[in-house]
Amino acid sequence: MSHPRTLSRRTLLGATLAGATVTGLTACTGQGTPSNGPTVEVVVALVPDPPGASDFYRKQFDSFEAANPGIKVKIIENPGDKQLSAVELMFQQGNAPDVYRAQESGFDRMYDRGWARSLQPYVTDEFTARFPQGSLSPASSGIHRDGELYSIPLTWGKWATLDAFVYNKSLLKASGYEQGPQTWSQLEEMAKAVTRDGKGKVFGFAPQQASGIVRVARQGVPYSIPGDGLDLRTGKPNTADPIMVESVELHRRMQADGSMITGWETWDGSRAYTEFAGGRFAMYVTAPWHVAEIRKLMPDIDMGISVCPTPDSGRGGFSPITASFAPMWAMSSETKHPDESWKVLDFLASAEFHLAYYQEFGTLTALESAWESAARSQPDQAALLDVATESMALVPNPRLASEGGKAILDARAAKPELRFTDAAMESMVKNEPFEPKAVKLDRALDAFLADLYSSGKATAADITFADWVPTKPYESK
Amino acid sequence: MSASIVKTRRRLLPAERSERVWSYLLLVPLVLTFGGFTLWPILASWWYSFFDWDGVGQATDWIGLDNFVEVVTNEAFWRSFWHSFLFSVVALLVELPLALVLAIMLNNPRLRGRNVYRLALFVPVVTTTAVVGIVFVALLDPVRGAVNEILTGLHLVGEPINFLGSTTTALPTLMVVDIWKGFGVTLIYWLAALQTVPKDLIEAAQIDGARRWGVLRHITVPVVLPIAIVIVLLLFQRSLNTFDLVQAMTAGGPSYATDVVPTYIYRYAFDPYMQAPRYGFACAAGVIFGLLTLVLTLIQAPVLRLRKRMAP
Repeated sequence: MSHPRTLSRRTLLGATLAGATVTGLTACTGQGTPSNGPTVEVVVALVPDPPGASDFYRKQFDSFEAANPGIKVKIIENPGDKQLSAVELMFQQGNAPDVYRAQESGFDRMYDRGWARSLQPYVTDEFTARFPQGSLSPASSGIHRDGELYSIPLTWGKWATLDAFVYNKSLLKASGYEQGPQTWSQLEEMAKAVTRDGKGKVFGFAPQQASGIVRVARQGVPYSIPGDGLDLRTGKPNTADPIMVESVELHRRMQADGSMITGWETWDGSRAYTEFAGGRFAMYVTAPWHVAEIRKLMPDIDMGISVCPTPDSGRGGFSPITASFAPMWAMSSETKHPDESWKVLDFLASAEFHLAYYQEFGTLTALESAWESAARSQPDQAALLDVATESMALVPNPRLASEGGKAILDARAAKPELRFTDAAMESMVKNEPFEPKAVKLDRALDAFLADLYSSGKATAADITFADWVPTKPYESK
Repeated sequence: MSASIVKTRRRLLPAERSERVWSYLLLVPLVLTFGGFTLWPILASWWYSFFDWDGVGQATDWIGLDNFVEVVTNEAFWRSFWHSFLFSVVALLVELPLALVLAIMLNNPRLRGRNVYRLALFVPVVTTTAVVGIVFVALLDPVRGAVNEILTGLHLVGEPINFLGSTTTALPTLMVVDIWKGFGVTLIYWLAALQTVPKDLIEAAQIDGARRWGVLRHITVPVVLPIAIVIVLLLFQRSLNTFDLVQAMTAGGPSYATDVVPTYIYRYAFDPYMQAPRYGFACAAGVIFGLLTLVLTLIQAPVLRLRKRMAP
């Protein structure tokens, strides 16, 4: 006869430890699945945007794996605003991804830390030939550092800074307008009329957060003023420029008279195109990728796409082309599988991938040859190409021009209180005149520059391009 | 006869020794987690606040008190501190008494379904703050939000209220949601306090002819007062550190009208627009905020002493 047995604490602890050991061993041995040959896992840290990108990347890497049987791609997804911090944490934990997305100035953050590996040894003539002629010149590509290729671009060079003015033709027509506004005063007039006719259900305009104000302002003044508060012609702060002040006052007036859709102040990134597609406001200035999203949500929308309205006195600046491309994909300096990682990067720079990306999201990608003919026959994309031709120009880029220029822009970015957009938003939301705020901001920027110059890290010359005429394409000497 | 007591050290029995060992062993996880996740981050943030450090690698660029000077001379820091302080003050003036009134009502054994009411009031506490934030943003939306639809539908307002987009209404709106979200906790504190009031004391007073107000004033309040002081301190601390709700609903906007110290610190540590995060500066802001919180708590020391005197 057996007696019931009570478990002692020691037995329980022993059993728990044994269980944990077995589980741990199982987990360890379980990592290596049976395979026919050595398989290298390449970890790619990316941001799943635009909507639908998670599935897209998985499918693309599945097809990559099919073509490269020895390589498996493991995807790690991070939200856009957390990507850099997340990748930095991975590096610090000794668990860096092999390939990661670090776009625009975010790439410099990684490069400065020595976490990007030069891709120059892998560059072949065939690789260079994929991109438009001359666009991979180290001095102006935007993806070279110290003369070597360090990043692979995703989007067309003009994509990141293209300012597209989109409007709902039906709503404008209902208020008696046959075409979109050409000037700021026309914009104001139309926004007011649409709002009046909308009777509280439809509004004239949405500023699409701070970036919308920047996009409008740079049609009137050099791009660097709404960007960093600095006029690159003089190397001095100039947010109190009269056209600059007028750009904010235009927004303030539209906000005060109710021409702007109520509640835009707390919108997230997707709300602008969702509400526009829903027909709740008539016009806004946006990044070009919104166009495809609007079309996905409302395929039949009667949408016009044009150049952003300019000041009544005429164009005073262009949407900037600061480099041929913006950085996107980089290889980790700590990767143990550089050759396999390069294969992944090479795939991300292939015509096959770029065509698929273009077809899926309507984004004009870095390989123009992959989409050029298709885009010309697609009305929305053809309109975007026209907007780019008409309203974009090469501009001086202090970040690429000198170490001092880069130091100034980096230091300015570390001072959020010196953002022009904060002062502009405050003026709009509180309905307060912008000029006094601009004067105060210019003084603060002057003091900031003086501090920086006294530290010896930069000089005024680093951000002065006296020969630049903002209404003409810049020619570097 | 004088008796002298001689203390001798008795040998511990094996069972007693085993119990002691187990007691210490069971403390180890707590000590480790407290040390690792509470004490170490506090000490580390003090240390890092003296460096110009971007959070990566070793902090080597010692800048002394520069970060502290920048924080205390930064207008935006004091604005965010004022907002944090207002959260606490409003919680004390509104949430505290309101929760007490409801607790007294729910403590009445004759109230039918009181457990259901308690549960309903506690549900927001256990709901994820980010979800609460997103739901309220949708409810309060001026274009399609249910709240404005109802208000305009009933002709209570002429046009939709821009609850979160206006610098005048955004902060009060967040405070209301914050109170709603945390109300259940304060209510539970009060209920626990009310249940310490001896029933026989109340019955004796009632036999002596005391009415409901008299019982409340002369028995309930004096008995719960020492606990009430602790509730005040806990509520003050909790409200001062409001972060997740603000981040989810407005992220400190519009135009910093709802910026609180934790969102201010978060911005400097994690803003993706910065070329390099300013962890050292964010640490300094955290240290100063901690010190200010300490000062505000110490100001309440006389009240704590009063509690000691009142304690039975």
